[in-house]
Amino acid sequence: MTRNEKLRRFFEIVPGFMTWSTILGLIILSVFRPLWVAVFIICFDLYWVIRVGYFTTLLVFAYRRLNMEKKTDWLKKCKSAAGDGVLNYESIYHAILFPAYKEGPDILAASINALIGSNYDKKKMIVALTIEGRAGDDCWENAKELKRRFKDTFFEFIITRHPDGLKGEAKTKGANATWGAMVIREFVDAKRIDHEHVVMSCFDADTCADKEYFACLTYHYITNTKRSRSSYQPIPVYNNNIWYARSIARVIELGSSFMQMVETMRLEKFVTFSSHSMSFKTLVDVGYWPVDMISDDSVIYWKCFLHFNGDYSVIPMYVTVSLDIATEKAIIPTIIKQYKQKRRWAWGVENFPYLMMGFMNNRNIPLFKKIRRGFHLFESHYTWAVWAIIVTFIAPLPLIFGGGIFRQTTMGYSLPSVAAALFRITTITLLICMLMSIKLLPPRPKDVKRQKKLVMFTQWILAPLLAAFVGSTPAIDAQTRLMLGKYMHFHVTEKIRHGVTTN
Amino acid sequence: MNKSDTVIRHIAFFFSLALYLTLLPVILSYSLGYHIDFHKLMIYKTGILSLRSTPLGASIYINGKLYPDTTPTRIEELRPGTYSVEVKREGFYTWQKELAVRSNMVTRAENILLFPTLQVTDKVSDRETENFFIPDDRSQVYYMTKSGLYRSNIDGTNPRKLSPYSEWPCDIIDKKLSPDGKKMLFFNKNGIWIIYLNGPISAKDGDIAEVEEVLKSPDIIKDVFWHSGSNHIIFVAGKDIDVLEIGKEGGKNIVTLNKCSQEPQGLYYDAYNDSLYFNDSPAGKSKLYRLDLREKFFGKLMERIKKEFDIIYDQK
Repeated sequence: MTRNEKLRRFFEIVPGFMTWSTILGLIILSVFRPLWVAVFIICFDLYWVIRVGYFTTLLVFAYRRLNMEKKTDWLKKCKSAAGDGVLNYESIYHAILFPAYKEGPDILAASINALIGSNYDKKKMIVALTIEGRAGDDCWENAKELKRRFKDTFFEFIITRHPDGLKGEAKTKGANATWGAMVIREFVDAKRIDHEHVVMSCFDADTCADKEYFACLTYHYITNTKRSRSSYQPIPVYNNNIWYARSIARVIELGSSFMQMVETMRLEKFVTFSSHSMSFKTLVDVGYWPVDMISDDSVIYWKCFLHFNGDYSVIPMYVTVSLDIATEKAIIPTIIKQYKQKRRWAWGVENFPYLMMGFMNNRNIPLFKKIRRGFHLFESHYTWAVWAIIVTFIAPLPLIFGGGIFRQTTMGYSLPSVAAALFRITTITLLICMLMSIKLLPPRPKDVKRQKKLVMFTQWILAPLLAAFVGSTPAIDAQTRLMLGKYMHFHVTEKIRHGVTTN
Repeated sequence: MNKSDTVIRHIAFFFSLALYLTLLPVILSYSLGYHIDFHKLMIYKTGILSLRSTPLGASIYINGKLYPDTTPTRIEELRPGTYSVEVKREGFYTWQKELAVRSNMVTRAENILLFPTLQVTDKVSDRETENFFIPDDRSQVYYMTKSGLYRSNIDGTNPRKLSPYSEWPCDIIDKKLSPDGKKMLFFNKNGIWIIYLNGPISAKDGDIAEVEEVLKSPDIIKDVFWHSGSNHIIFVAGKDIDVLEIGKEGGKNIVTLNKCSQEPQGLYYDAYNDSLYFNDSPAGKSKLYRLDLREKFFGKLMERIKKEFDIIYDQK
């Protein structure tokens, strides 16, 4: 093992080690020093409640902003944009890449139809569909059929097949996307289009962009003087199948949407997530997506961050892209599916060793910036893994293990009531989430009963239960696997729309 | 993100931080039992008094002063010391105690039972009752009167005369229902009686039960127990532990199971295992003994004793 490999391994172990040390340490201390743990729990509970309050404030403002910007005529703004360094919007091309595995034509057709419905010139769009070679001939035939249907609508409709098992590649979405991006490059170069004039959007197969997405993206791109040093992040909402998904899945995914809205307000911590866009020039300059990492959506940001010596940011766009909720027809399979999806997201912890190694090999990024970004990344994964465990399962331990003597102390007596009083405050957040989820709902399909809207409101009572059981466990699972060197493989989430199931 | 969003975010962040730093010492000191006196700028240790009464809603007086809350409540931030606590409610006797409050600790008085001042008594039977018996299932009451043995529901309703027997002995020590529920014994220091509850429900009043004096003892009877089979009585009279086989036909069999050196003390009958526990001091030192009377052992013992009797009878 080389020194670099040893260091990388060390950084892989750190998050899992810290998480397990915290959990086990608190359990052991509950037996021997229940008072210490009780003091820690009160400090943590208060921190958590205030953090939730802070996030709720940001969520309200982000939502307000989203509503305000909905009324914007982005195309008009593009046309009237002028000034130093501002590009002419007509010179901009959009490359939209759909890396697909076994997603059926119905899923992909809906995503492509969303592009057709957009308030932007389709002849400025290069749509690329890159199908995994291992997906089989049926999928390739579907892609060919889609090309036949849509080839005249766009500037170009490219379909390509990503060969399986290329050297150095793992079975990841990033490898497929990189293959697709290289094919797009061939086309762009053949047409002699400047890479800086091409905006690359890498979408999941189920991503349906809002009709204002490309106009909004174009405006941000042409007016941003550091356009190649930025990624452009829309707000993901899970509306495609929300009326047909299970309540459990809806609450979890809406929670993710809200969290993403909160992140748009925290620019210095903002990292790309799911479907997003960036300059094609930047993508080519950094050498595309890593082909051996699962968390392609966030790792491309860190790759750019390191490549540009920390001078790289994410621009939030208050426009939505709609995705599918990972759901099943029964409850248990839905929970399992959600768990696996969240574990894949939590596998983003692989970015920590990647970033740390990048920092060690880069002397041009200021030390303060390295510490700050490194800490933010570590803290987000660490907190994700421990918060629900501390709040739900560790909190009662001092009373259980502390025995009668501890229960006779004022701390032992007050702990349950203080914790309960603190968490009662978070019901305000729950109410806000309830109202917001109703506002964000797409129109009710005709085959869905009117009463379902009431379920959409009341489903939030599941939130505390879900937080307790699936709040932290996927993150612990992912960090433990990374710590033990049992690396995860990319797990494709099966898409289920109304009566249709595809991989 | 525009500038106003950045300002909002910074305000929200620093407000949250300030809120945390302000609330944390207050909540922690409260939980740890410390009280901050902002007027005197002093911190002192306190304790908690937790009070709960039945019925709820009773007034609380601490050192004679009315506390604003009623039970159940917890009185916090009490300085360490002894407090005179009174719990009062109209129509109930006052509960009063001196309770010590220690620093950082909780003093609990959570089982306060307030008894009503007006006790209501219900008359169960109008008959002149010499004695009565309530079985463990508390479904009925048996009462012994000068006109006979009666039984009624526990509240006195539906009374029936079971037997005309009226020669109830004085100073009945105890009454016990047999395990099969068909017989009842009562005893005083000189005798044992059995009531056979074998009459059918349809029988006319007075024919439902039969009372029989089964033993007159020269020694003082200390205690009597039912054997699990309900056909034998184990009794302790004087220094002997005896067994009496009951039955209306063919007389009574009495066998002495154990002769103790002194009167056995601390008698306990384990009805589940048919074992009698008692203290005896054969060598001057009191020790605990167990007499196993389980069916198998008991049967064999009776058989052996009978054989010995037969031999003695033949020899005579």
